[in-house]
Amino acid sequence: MQNPLSALVIHDIKNALSLLEIDLEQLNHRKDTPLEGRRAYRRCIELKTRLVSFLTLYKHDQSGLQPAMVEVDLAEFIEDLVRNSQSAMMAESHHGHQIVVHADNERMKPGSAAGGFGMFDENLVELALESALNNAVRYAHRRVDVWFEQEADEIVFRVLDDGAGVGELGELMQRKITEKSSSTGLGLALCKAVSEVHGCGSVQLESVPGGTLFTMRFRAAG
Amino acid sequence: MANLPVQGINALFSGGFIENEYVHFNKLSALVIDDISAMRHAVRSQLQSLGMNKVSVASNANDALELIKATAFDVIMCDYNLNSTSSGQHFLEYLRNENILNATSVFVMLTAEAEYSFVANAVEYIPDDYLLKPCSESKLRSRLERLIDRRAFLMPVLKALDAKQYDLAVTECNKLLDIAPDARRRMDVLRRKSDAQLALGDHLSVLETYAHAAAVRGDAPWVMMGLARTHYALGDFAQAAEMANMLVGKNKNYVAAYELLAKIRLESDDDEGAFELLNRSSVILPSARRFRSVAQAAFLLGKLEDAKSNAEAAIQLSNGSMVEKPDDYLSLAQTQVDMGDHKCAIETLEKNARKHGDVGLFGVAKGAILAQAYFDSGDHEKARKLMERSVSLLANRTDSVAMTALGKAALKTGDVVLGMKLLTQAVQVSGQDERVIARHVKKSMIDTGHADKVEDVIDGGRKRILLLVDEATKLMRSAHFSEANQKVNEALAIHEENLEALMTAAQLHLLWLKHEGMDARVVERAKAYLSTLDKLVPNNQKVMNFYRFFNDIVSN
Repeated sequence: MQNPLSALVIHDIKNALSLLEIDLEQLNHRKDTPLEGRRAYRRCIELKTRLVSFLTLYKHDQSGLQPAMVEVDLAEFIEDLVRNSQSAMMAESHHGHQIVVHADNERMKPGSAAGGFGMFDENLVELALESALNNAVRYAHRRVDVWFEQEADEIVFRVLDDGAGVGELGELMQRKITEKSSSTGLGLALCKAVSEVHGCGSVQLESVPGGTLFTMRFRAAG
Repeated sequence: MANLPVQGINALFSGGFIENEYVHFNKLSALVIDDISAMRHAVRSQLQSLGMNKVSVASNANDALELIKATAFDVIMCDYNLNSTSSGQHFLEYLRNENILNATSVFVMLTAEAEYSFVANAVEYIPDDYLLKPCSESKLRSRLERLIDRRAFLMPVLKALDAKQYDLAVTECNKLLDIAPDARRRMDVLRRKSDAQLALGDHLSVLETYAHAAAVRGDAPWVMMGLARTHYALGDFAQAAEMANMLVGKNKNYVAAYELLAKIRLESDDDEGAFELLNRSSVILPSARRFRSVAQAAFLLGKLEDAKSNAEAAIQLSNGSMVEKPDDYLSLAQTQVDMGDHKCAIETLEKNARKHGDVGLFGVAKGAILAQAYFDSGDHEKARKLMERSVSLLANRTDSVAMTALGKAALKTGDVVLGMKLLTQAVQVSGQDERVIARHVKKSMIDTGHADKVEDVIDGGRKRILLLVDEATKLMRSAHFSEANQKVNEALAIHEENLEALMTAAQLHLLWLKHEGMDARVVERAKAYLSTLDKLVPNNQKVMNFYRFFNDIVSN
């Protein structure tokens, strides 16, 4: 933020929100937590995620994101992403029936040279994929699959949901429009920004047999 | 790895935690370091609800240090932003440099986004993991489970490393390599194996370990950096530089590679190039240690303005923290004297460095630099008194830094005989720091108009010994053991109790046995060198390791 005061205030808000989140998390460990407590936790997470996404995009627009390249084990990364995804955790409540998010080992393709390791900013990519997951669980019927594919000089992340099947292009269009207009449209913009700063990145949302496929790809090493 | 369906919201909200079948959090101890009380307690609550019963907290690095010295924590969670003067990164650097941190302790750094890109490049001193704040409990759980799980697999190796039994660590690594279930575990083990072999100084074996790791995954940065360092140690500077440049090409912020490249430039006497590289790494990742290196390189190059600003930066960054070094004030003051600014030099030492007192070896050097400053101000009487005090403070002690400062002051204040004597001794007792001390001595002599006597002072027998030891080391590392032995014997003929020569002789004989098999004469000589060393430097860690290495070889 250009204004030092706004920067300070935003930082304060983020810290306070983090503490609130941890308090609510602890509260929700209790068996007798009322429904309101759970709802408050959910809202707090949503709010924090939105604030972090917004701050990340804001930084991208103002000064450009500087990815911190570290070595990442891709299979572990996907496994953790799925296990800890807060949007996946919340998925059920949107629909009233359970949506299962899978780290899809069958589809994971480690590159022959890189052997399933990549250099990228794991926190930025996690933030981007979390927003893609968030989108996927909102439209999925039952199931979301997540995996990576490693090509010669590219890392590809995919999120497949069983939401809009073949011939349901109308729904896909609807999703793309929603992405543009709604406040949660932050998500796609964030994914674009994150893939671009890693080099030669792109983001795609397409209808495939059996569902809708989100793809984010970027160059393997910065 | 099985597909992991996410637990439904109810599973997560219905209280209790899912007990992992491998990780028993209730058996682990943890330390949380954060200056903000609310944060500290929040993280502690998270750890407690993971099942940890023994969670300690510290609000600053000094308290944390006391706790870490007293208890071998399983997990240390440290905030990056400890306070204005010391960051979590400084703390970690200090713990690793001083060998305070156990190999069995898992160190996790908690950072905010802004700091993250900054610390993630600090490859020299990486924590076991970084966690971005705020971190949800489920994320904390899965990260810790992985770290603890890895630690459990490596445990016999880590324990051997903590006991400084490096040969045992290598043996344990070999056992683990046979049972490592996947590439990731193999790489973890190979990394520890290379650490242990480096501690043993066994460069030939470490090269094999890196080759092994490169076969598993050749582009891992630590493998490339390790290979670069080993090539450097073996004297193959061209290959070392090529590797380091490849690393920099992949990650332009890889400071460890710049620092190695700087060392390579120094080998070819390219001081200017070394200075540029050191300067670049201090810009990428500022630390007191890096500012110190830049200040020294600049000073030796006569770039006094750069020397001054970097010495000031080192003082500012470390002031009040654990990485504070009183010697920074000496460097700054000497630079100020050389710039002709005796007033500032006096202020630096008498006012700013007051808290470090004026006794001991620091007092010797402080007095010597002050003497120069007062001499320049025209107060020759005060200069003379300061010199007398420093000489008597030094007494019979031999310390190359203090002697270099005092020698230079003597030359400058007109006592040429004392100056020559001190500088000659400084080089003779400089040991590992010979190269640096010799450069300082040379510069002092040239600056005070004694360029003609540089060779005499630096030679003084010492240079010949070191040259021979250096040649022997290179021959030893390329497995030319009997040629190396000849060189060491020549060095010992000059001075039979020279430590560097004896250490090299011992190491050389151990590697000889390891690589070329048992030979009774070599065993006898190895024993003799070890017992001489044991008499000269009792309980020396390096000698102890040599003994263990020796017993290991002989018993096999």
